Amino acid sequence: MSDVNTQRRDLLDLAERVVARARALGADEVTAVASRGSHTSITRRDGKVEQATEATSRSVSVSLLVDERFSSHGTSDLRPDALDAFLARAIDATRYLETDPDRRLPDPALCGRLVSDDQLEQLDPDHLSYTASDRAESAEALERAVRERSPASTISSATYVADGVSVLARVTSNGFADTQADGWFTGGAEMTITDPDGRRPEASAFYGARHRATLPGAGLIADEVVARALERVGSGPIASGAYTMVLENRAARQILGVLGGALSGNALHHQRSCLAGKLGERIGSDLLTIVDDPTVPRGLASRPWDGDGLIAERRPIVSNGVLQQYYLGVYYARKLGMPVTTGGRSNWILPVGTRSWQEIAAEHKKVIFVNGFLGGNNNAATGDFSFGIQGVLLEDGAPTRPVSEMNVSGNTLTIFHQLVEAANDPWTFSSVITPSLVFTDVQFSGM
Amino acid sequence: MTDPGSGIGHFARFGIDAAMCRRVLEAATAFGVDDADLFFEHAATTSVSLTDGKVNRCSTSVDLGVGVRVVVGDQVGYAFTEDLDLDSMLHAARVAAQIARGGKVVAPVGTRRLVIPDFYPVDRRWDDVDIGVRVPLVRDWEARAFAKDGRVRSVEASLADTDRYVLVVRADGQLAEDYRPMTRAYVGVTAVEGSLRESASYNVAGRRGLDYYDADRQERLVAEAVRRATDALHAGSPPAGEMPVVMAKGSSGILLHEAIGHGMEADFNRKGISIFADRIGTAVARPEVTIVDDATLPGARGALNVDDEGSPTEKTVLVENGVLRSYLHDRISARHYGVAPTGSGRRESFRHPVLPRMRCTYMEPGKSTAEEIISSVEKGIWCESFQNGQVQIGAGDFAFYVRYGYLIENGKLTRPIKDVNLIGNGPKVLESIEMVGDDLEIDEGGWTCGKDGQSVPVSQGMPTVKVGRLSVGGGRS
Repeated sequence: MSDVNTQRRDLLDLAERVVARARALGADEVTAVASRGSHTSITRRDGKVEQATEATSRSVSVSLLVDERFSSHGTSDLRPDALDAFLARAIDATRYLETDPDRRLPDPALCGRLVSDDQLEQLDPDHLSYTASDRAESAEALERAVRERSPASTISSATYVADGVSVLARVTSNGFADTQADGWFTGGAEMTITDPDGRRPEASAFYGARHRATLPGAGLIADEVVARALERVGSGPIASGAYTMVLENRAARQILGVLGGALSGNALHHQRSCLAGKLGERIGSDLLTIVDDPTVPRGLASRPWDGDGLIAERRPIVSNGVLQQYYLGVYYARKLGMPVTTGGRSNWILPVGTRSWQEIAAEHKKVIFVNGFLGGNNNAATGDFSFGIQGVLLEDGAPTRPVSEMNVSGNTLTIFHQLVEAANDPWTFSSVITPSLVFTDVQFSGM
Repeated sequence: MTDPGSGIGHFARFGIDAAMCRRVLEAATAFGVDDADLFFEHAATTSVSLTDGKVNRCSTSVDLGVGVRVVVGDQVGYAFTEDLDLDSMLHAARVAAQIARGGKVVAPVGTRRLVIPDFYPVDRRWDDVDIGVRVPLVRDWEARAFAKDGRVRSVEASLADTDRYVLVVRADGQLAEDYRPMTRAYVGVTAVEGSLRESASYNVAGRRGLDYYDADRQERLVAEAVRRATDALHAGSPPAGEMPVVMAKGSSGILLHEAIGHGMEADFNRKGISIFADRIGTAVARPEVTIVDDATLPGARGALNVDDEGSPTEKTVLVENGVLRSYLHDRISARHYGVAPTGSGRRESFRHPVLPRMRCTYMEPGKSTAEEIISSVEKGIWCESFQNGQVQIGAGDFAFYVRYGYLIENGKLTRPIKDVNLIGNGPKVLESIEMVGDDLEIDEGGWTCGKDGQSVPVSQGMPTVKVGRLSVGGGRS
């Protein structure tokens, strides 16, 4: 960790120098973020290394308020002369703009942290002693596990291991100065197999975690990618209609995500949110509860403070179907004349049910188990969404055929009223920690 | 390696010289390689944006660095550094060189400068354009949008531009320099009528200078944003299910990008994981279908004078009269297949290794008129504007999101539709292209293609085309 502590000091020093320099050049308020990240990755395919990358990256970003005018800038050219010229140009450019006094820095009393980096466990204490040979062994072990399990129909398989550490320092001209460090590990596999119909369906299984020990073992990843690939053989569309949808835990963030855009201060301010005016109103069934928690130890979106430097706190977003909060950073809270919450999502946590999704599905005549999406989008202003899906048709709980080339469509304001049960399988390898979710009467289009 | 001499000044821009490049390449190739290159890049981006009636935000960014790539067979070692001093570059080279050993040693030799065409000449680089010139342009777009329709409730607008300088130095001694301008303008409109509310946007983009924004283009930028928002106010969902789909001229090129373009990128094919693997020379569509990927369209967002590994670019024919002709090759896949690279080796930045990528993908025009095509459909949809797409390379399934279109009933456009995902299978959809229009249009929008975590600018185009069947996400029938 000594390297990280040195980096923290160096980056804090750099950010403080940038703030001082920008102030000297005429900026009234300044936020500077200096960051340094390193990452390595190894992709192995069909028995050998396909690609290995390694790099360390540094950058500085700065936000300026000059005569009530706002601008933001970033550079990776940190040569002293270049950085000086960059700041001078940035401040000069800002003077051409029109005023935006709502861009002022937040009250320092609202800023800082209540949780230490140790509490957040964002950096694996063993990360910096993870060596090149450890990485190579990890990549080989994962590939070995996948190849041992590969069915005869395998055309190609690839495995991927990667990790990185990033450290950043944030300094403002009104007294905020802090650093944070985090690390991440990824392990995953892809497989392409032959389908007798001539297609070459592919599947993947990817896991991410803050600590290496949190990642599942190679065998589990390999089992999963093989199962997912075999499941795709012979897939196709089924008849259009309304079905019960079981949304697999790791795929659920796509549907939950339609809420995210409509909750943002930007969408609300620009009158592009179907959730405008719905604070305190019911937007889903009693089962819809979402907590935004930036303090989850090892959480993939945990943080001590948000993008404004505001103290990170656990917040209810939806409680038993009732909308509790929007995402309002300092700027949009001022614009909307509403209390500031936080500008962006951290970890979303949904409550867990008591039964497996298979038990729940068995109670329904026809279920589409959705475990992947293909394309699609949503309209935050109207709430309409339409996504391509893949999954499996289950009849009376038994899988009867793999499904593809189908779309699911609906509306943000109605779909969550159709949420009838949550399964008992929270997915923790994502910043959206949710179990599989069951919705009734969902519109699918296929044949 | 001899000093590059005249050039266009990139060595000075990066503070390097030929001797430094030679030393770095010697380190990169120390264990024996088949190929290696240095990719120097300097990009300066400026954007100004309007919101709440004011041009009140500007951002700038500067990106500078070098990527070192070492290739042995189809194996790649990659490292980059943002410090262009010799020690940092040597370190990156040694890291990249660890990937594999035993390839054919290619010692750096005398420099050959690749003579490249200029598909994007500009009179004045963006660095020479004051912020003060950009601000009134953006403000004027807002004023025009409000003036066009009383239902316009709010407007957002922005103008972004980049001066990008790249220098590729290869271990085989070839050197290529390029200056790549890019600009993109955006107007977003929210329209309100009674309880109805809709937002829509239009954007234009190209490798152009300030003169790109002539009176016609600015008018279209604003008018299209307003039209799309106000038309969408009364648009509904189409019925769900499989039906004929007419793709309007222009941005419908997204169909080609997803249904065949990605599948023709040669890395997927040399690995055997594309549904188009082993199908060169076979018929995949009717004879009236010819699809190309073209880097040579002047000023297009996807145009390239030289690719990101120093290969000359070209117009590559993917499908000629219905028959698969060529994949899109970088140098690795070209070596694998024993063909010449197609100039399709691209990367998002110096932080990324090269991949075969599309540039400007479009279908050559056919003989039908748009009216003939629409009138041939009894019940289906006509799609005009699109947001995003995705493809599964091996299964061939692809999807794209239709932001706006019309229902076709008895050969006529009857009522507007919006926000619907379309999904199909690439080879099946290619086979079901039934009519090709005579009205090819290259879309002027700012499309960006994502692959393996890398984004690159692309263009796409299409004449009006009729697809026999596609699955349309939609409301209850």
